[in-house]
Amino acid sequence: MAELLRALLALCCLALLAVPACAAPLDRTRFAADLCGDGAAQVRAAEGLVQVGGDLPADDLTFAGGLLGALAERRLSCPADGTLLLDRPGAPEGHDALTGAVRPAPKARAPVLGLRQRAAVETARGIIALLTGPDPAARSAGLAVVERRIATVPAAVLDRARDTETDAALKATITGLAQAAALSSPDPARRRAAIAAVAASPSGTAQARLAALKGDPAYASDPAFRAALDAGLAQVSRAVAIGDGLAVVYNGLSFASILFMAAAGLAIIFGLMGVINLAQGEFIMLGAYATYGVQEAFRRFAPGLLDFYLVAAIPVAFGAVALVGIVVETLILRHLYRRPLMSLLATWAVSLFLVNLVRVTVGTQNLQFVMPAYVSGGVPLYADFVVTWNRLFAIAFAVATLVVTLLILRRTPLGLDIRAVTQNRDMAACLGLPTRRIDRLAFGLGSGLAGLAGVALCPIYSVNPGMGSGFIVDSFMVVVLGGVGSLVGTLVAALGVGGANVLIEPISGAVAAKVIVLVGIILFLQRRPEGLFAVRRRR
Amino acid sequence: MPTTLATPAGPARRAVRDPLVAGLVGLCLAAAAALVVAPPAPYLVNALGQLAAFAILAVSLDLVWGYLGILSLGHGLFFAIGGYVCAMHLLAQGVAATGVLPDFVQFMGWTRLPAYWTGLDHAAYALVLALAVAGLVAFVFGFASFRSRVNGVYFSIISQALVYVSMLLMYRNDTGLGGNNGMTGFPLLFGWPMGSPGVVTGLAVAALLTLAGVLTGTRLLVGSAIGRRMLACRDDETRLRTLGYSTTRLKLGIWCLSAMIAALAGILYVPQVGIINPRVLAPDLSIEIAVWVAIGGLGRLGGAVIGAILVNGLKFWLSAAMPEAWPFILSGLVLLVVLVLPNGLLDLVGWRPRPTWLRGAP
Repeated sequence: MAELLRALLALCCLALLAVPACAAPLDRTRFAADLCGDGAAQVRAAEGLVQVGGDLPADDLTFAGGLLGALAERRLSCPADGTLLLDRPGAPEGHDALTGAVRPAPKARAPVLGLRQRAAVETARGIIALLTGPDPAARSAGLAVVERRIATVPAAVLDRARDTETDAALKATITGLAQAAALSSPDPARRRAAIAAVAASPSGTAQARLAALKGDPAYASDPAFRAALDAGLAQVSRAVAIGDGLAVVYNGLSFASILFMAAAGLAIIFGLMGVINLAQGEFIMLGAYATYGVQEAFRRFAPGLLDFYLVAAIPVAFGAVALVGIVVETLILRHLYRRPLMSLLATWAVSLFLVNLVRVTVGTQNLQFVMPAYVSGGVPLYADFVVTWNRLFAIAFAVATLVVTLLILRRTPLGLDIRAVTQNRDMAACLGLPTRRIDRLAFGLGSGLAGLAGVALCPIYSVNPGMGSGFIVDSFMVVVLGGVGSLVGTLVAALGVGGANVLIEPISGAVAAKVIVLVGIILFLQRRPEGLFAVRRRR
Repeated sequence: MPTTLATPAGPARRAVRDPLVAGLVGLCLAAAAALVVAPPAPYLVNALGQLAAFAILAVSLDLVWGYLGILSLGHGLFFAIGGYVCAMHLLAQGVAATGVLPDFVQFMGWTRLPAYWTGLDHAAYALVLALAVAGLVAFVFGFASFRSRVNGVYFSIISQALVYVSMLLMYRNDTGLGGNNGMTGFPLLFGWPMGSPGVVTGLAVAALLTLAGVLTGTRLLVGSAIGRRMLACRDDETRLRTLGYSTTRLKLGIWCLSAMIAALAGILYVPQVGIINPRVLAPDLSIEIAVWVAIGGLGRLGGAVIGAILVNGLKFWLSAAMPEAWPFILSGLVLLVVLVLPNGLLDLVGWRPRPTWLRGAP
C-alpha cells in the first residue's frame, strides 16, 4: 500500500514537473513591443518574464536578456516598424531584435528607464543571468540581484537554477536562498514542506532559520504551521546537539593527542631520572621549526614532492630534536642528577636560550606552512560536525607514536634497560647496565617525542618561537596526574585533562576549565600522591 | 652520602652572628639614612627601592627553598597578591579623595567599586587583608600538598601551574581587578601626590627598612631551634618525622610565613612602579625569583639579597643597553651557576666552607 502511495506521489511530482516544460514559449513580438511601450508596458513585460522565467527555454531567455540589457543601457531604438538593438547609444544602424538583420536606425525614439521600471527590469535581468550566465561569476552576480528582490521571484526560478547549477559553492548558496524563500512563501502548504526540507538537513544555520520563524504571525494563528515548525525545530535541535557533542569529543580527542605527545617524553624522562624538562615546550617548537626547514628544502630542491614534506619531516624532526636533547643531557643535566631542583632551573635556562636563539635567527613571526590536501578541509559527518583532516592527522599521529613508543619500551633491549633503571637504578647498575648511557638515550628518545609533537602541531596551531609555553603547564599536569614513568598513565591522564578542558570550556570558559582541572588534580593527589599509574620501584 | 647540617653546630646564638646578614642590614640602614639626608636623583632612589622589594622577595623564597628544600615556582602569586591589594588600596583611597572612578571600572560600565573593595581605603585594613589573603592561599595550597607528601619536583611544577592559572584568571576583565590592563594611575599615597620626590624617597626608605627588618627576623628564625629543625627537615625529612616532629606543621608554618613576606614585597613594589598587571603572574617571573636565589647563593639569606640585587641591577642596565643580549646572558649565568658554582656567586669569594648539602628532595 505504501509502495503504491509512493509511486502515485512520484507520478504526481513528475506531472507537476512536466507541465512547466510544455509552457508556451515567449511571445517575442509582444515582448519587444512592450519594451518599446510606455512605463506600464515595460513593467508588465519585465514582471511577466519574472513570473514565467523559470519555465522558458534558454534561447527565449537569451533573447529577452539581450533586449532588457539594451533597454537598460539605452541601446534600444523603437522605430514604428519594429525594435532595433544598437551597438552603442545613438548609433546610426542596428540589428532587428526579431530577425537579427542589420537595418539603418532612423531618428526613432530610444526609451528611457524610469526608477520604478528599473527595479523590475533589473530583477528580470538577474534571473536571466542566474539561469543562463556563461560562468559562475556571472551567475553569482545574477543571484545577488535575485536575493535582493527575493519576494518577487517565483520558486520555479530558484529550483531550476539549483538543478542546472554546476558550481558546488554557488549551488549551496542557491539552495539556501531557495529554502529561505520557500520558508517565507505565502502558501502554507509550501511553507510546511520547506520546514520539513530544512529540518531534513540539520545544521546550526537551519536551526537559526527555523527558530526565526517562531516570530512569524502564522505561528500563532495556524495550528498546522505551528505543529510543523515545532516538530522540525525539535528534530533539528536534537541533531545539532548530537553533532555538537561529537565535535566536542573530537576536539577533546585531538587536544588530548597533542597533550599526550608533549607529555609522553616528559613522563619517560621524569620516570627515569626524576628530572622535569622545562625546555620540553621549546623542544616541541624546535620540532615545528625542523618541519618548516624540511618544507623549505622540498620547495627548493623537489617542488613536485612538496605535498609529502610532512611525512618526510617525521624522521628529521625526531632526529634533530633527539640530538639537541642528547647534547643538553651531555653538557648540562648529567651533572645535576643529584640535584633535581637545580635541573629545573637549568632546563629553564635552556628554554630561555632556545626561544631567544630562534627569535634572533629566524624571527618572531608565525611561520607559513603549505597545507597538503591530506591535512586541509574535512568531511561533514553529521549536522555541524566536520571531521577535519588536520586534527585527524594529529590523532592518528599520536596513536602511531603511542604504539611505536610502547613497542620500543616493551620489545627492544633499550626499552628493557629503560624500564630496569626506572624501577631500580642501583640494582640495574649492579647488574652491569650502563645507567648513564641509558639516561642519555632515554633523554634523546623523550626529546625526539617532543619533536614529533611539533610535527603534529604544524597543521593545527600557529608556529612561532613562543609556542612552547602554551602547552608546557598542561603537559606537566598530565605527567603529575598520570604517574611517574608510566606511558599508559600518561595516555589516560592526557585523555582526562584534554577531555575535561574541552568539556568544561563551552560551559564556563577556557580559564575556568583550566582552574577546575588544576583544582581537580590537586584534590586527586590527596588520594593518590603518586598519580594514576605509579610504577613500583625502590629508591 | 652523609648528610650534615649546613649551619655550623653549636648554640643557636652563634648562628645569629652572621657577618654577611649583619653587614647587609647595616648597609640597608645606612642607605636609608643617606636617602633621607641627601637624596640622589629620583630615578636612582626609585631603582634602589625596587631592588629592596625584590630582595625581600628573594629572601622569602630562600627561606623555603634554601632552608626547607621546597622549591616554589609560584612565589610570584604571593607577590602579586600583595601588589594587587596594595593597588586596590591606592585606587580606593583615590576614589575616596577625588570621587573619580578608575578607568577599568568605568570601562566595565559599573557605577561604583565592587563590594569587596569596601574598606580598602584604610591602609591598616589593606595591609592585614594582603597578608591574610596571601597566608590563606598559601595555607590551603600548602596543606593540600604537604599533607599528601607532595614534594620535590612535583611540588615545584604544581606551584607553577598554580601561578599560571592565576595569571589566566587575572587576565579576565570581569574580576573587578583591572583585567589584562591591570591597575595603574594611582593618584595619592596617604594623601600625598604619587611621584613627588618626597613620596619616592619615603617608599624607598620604607622598602630598605622593611628589608632590614625581614633580614633580621628571618636570620633570628633560622638561627633558632625552629631553624635547626628546618634544616633537619630539608636534609632528611623521614628521619625527622621518625624522631617525632610534625614536619607537615613545620613546613606549613614556614611556607605561610614565606608567602606573607612575599606579599610584603609586593606591597612595597607596586607603589614604586605605579602599575600592576597579570604579567607579574607569568611563570617565567616566578622562575626568575628562584634564579636570583640560586645565583646569589642558596641557603644563605644574604646570598638571596645579593643575587636579587645583582641580577636585577644587571637587568635594569642590560635590558636597556642591549635588550637582545639579556636573555642569553641570563641563561648563561644560570647555567654557569648551576654547573660550576653550586652554591652561587658566594662560592667565588669563598665566603664559607661549602656546605655538604647537595641533595634536593628525592
